[in-house]
Amino acid sequence: MNVGQDRLQWLQRWMLGALIAPDGVDADTIAATLLPGPKLSPSACLAIYQRSYILRLRKCLEEQFPASCHALGTTLFADFANEYLRARPSDSYTLHELGRRFPEWFEENRPDRDQPPERRESWIDFMVDLAGYERDLYRLFDARGHEGRPWPDMLADDGTLILQPCLALVEYRYPVAGYYHEVRAGRSPQFPIAMHSYAVILRRDFRTHTYPVTRLHHRFLSLVEQTRHVPASLEAIAAEAGYPVDEVWRSWRHEVRRPWLEAGFFVERTVIEG
Amino acid sequence: MTELRGGAAGHRLGFGVGLRNQHFDHILATQPPVDWFEAISENFMDSGGRPRAVLRRIAEHYPVVLHGVSLSIGSTDPLDRDYLARLRRLADEVSARWVSDHLCWTGALGVNSHDLLPLPLNEETLEHVSARVAQAQELLGRPLVLENPSTYVRFRQSTLDEPAFLRELSRVTGCWLLLDVNNVYVSCFNAGTDPLDYLNQFPFDRVVQLHLAGHQHCGTHIVDTHDRPVSSAVWQLFRQAWQRSEQAATLLEWDGDVPAFERVHAELMRAQQIIDGDAPAEVEAAPRPRLDSTEAVSTPVAFLVPEIMSNSVVCSS
Repeated sequence: MNVGQDRLQWLQRWMLGALIAPDGVDADTIAATLLPGPKLSPSACLAIYQRSYILRLRKCLEEQFPASCHALGTTLFADFANEYLRARPSDSYTLHELGRRFPEWFEENRPDRDQPPERRESWIDFMVDLAGYERDLYRLFDARGHEGRPWPDMLADDGTLILQPCLALVEYRYPVAGYYHEVRAGRSPQFPIAMHSYAVILRRDFRTHTYPVTRLHHRFLSLVEQTRHVPASLEAIAAEAGYPVDEVWRSWRHEVRRPWLEAGFFVERTVIEG
Repeated sequence: MTELRGGAAGHRLGFGVGLRNQHFDHILATQPPVDWFEAISENFMDSGGRPRAVLRRIAEHYPVVLHGVSLSIGSTDPLDRDYLARLRRLADEVSARWVSDHLCWTGALGVNSHDLLPLPLNEETLEHVSARVAQAQELLGRPLVLENPSTYVRFRQSTLDEPAFLRELSRVTGCWLLLDVNNVYVSCFNAGTDPLDYLNQFPFDRVVQLHLAGHQHCGTHIVDTHDRPVSSAVWQLFRQAWQRSEQAATLLEWDGDVPAFERVHAELMRAQQIIDGDAPAEVEAAPRPRLDSTEAVSTPVAFLVPEIMSNSVVCSS
């Protein structure tokens, strides 16, 4: 790197720091680096970038976490978003990744993080889960999917079925999907009471669906995800849960297979792999 | 490698609109009478969902140009080869007429500001950017088109003006230019310089595209907000730019408070009126700036985030 590039590198690091942490820049350095405008001081010119930086990205986070924003209220959400953007500035060329670390950051920076688990506030657990659900929805909205390819019908061989590519198996401490869709409907739901919930989120025909499932079904689908083989997973879940294998097969064939196929849980491996 | 202007279609694509998520359904349903669309590269290059599927369909009916906001051609970080490879695949897929981005940097040390940050314009920066443009063009397999950004600061290190910098950059690398007329007006006001001087210095023989957008006049400065109609002063500059660029492809950007497609289209069609000489710009010789009390966001990017809530349903299994 030559002297010119050194200078440019210093300037870019300085200016980026001035955007992310506006309080950390001194007026002398600003005046030594920037010219005044016709009507503004160098600091006032830089402040245009500083103001827009945080407003611009905070707006994007609000768009990516609308239910979290609703639950916290705009002011408190803005406080969290400001802190998040300062602590975890974007590391990607795409804004779609801006909220990737938000649920995890929320958990790591919860106000009661130094308290023992039994003394922690439940609403924060709910917020962490809600943010996680919103992130899952956002990711699946534009993930690689199965649109444009054939879906299996009821005659499909169980041995060829695998989970479709645009699907996530999730579990939360709160029924966050119900809360999210109440907000979507324009209502102002109360924070729900704690209730461990399991769900399948998937996209079909470019629409994202959340299907609540039981803990056992969630475990079975996790096994299908691992083994990529429905019959082997049925055998495994029967052994794990202590159910007769015949009973598990009966349940598969008569209770869940049709609705899950129709919902788009599965695709045929041969379609994916050729 | 550097051939772009001229040829069968050349740079005269006519009047286009920036493709926005809010307008997908309308465009697919009605196929509006627009000459071409400009798609934000980063909104589509990683998409495995509806956005890319929609862009593919639109590309079947309209010429498409890709416009990026994260190439960061002026950064001191290494060029992102993975980004360029993805961009190239998308450009090939939709037969993009060209691929553009901005004369700016967006981040450093792996951090992205998602803003189009200005560079000090001098010989050292010119050398730095020229080398990167050449590398980017090689990796993209096509010439790059670079846009003048809107700016709010001037660096003490700068020794070249922007038209001179871009002229030399395009001469050395063969890249083409996108002249954002609104950005000319914004940057010149904020720097206290004359936009007509800017146009007089600009290398119009390298211009393939023009941008139009609205801005917010704050009295002491102007912010490039893309959230309102084009100002009369910018329309006046546009007429000159359009003539000097020999009818370069003209595009309207509307990124904040995005209205219905018909409103955006109506604003775009004012460009034709301006060219025909029967628009308000002709009579409004000294436009009075509208002052806003609350400064809006420069270079808004929230329009890049798709609204997914209405796309989600909870079901019983």
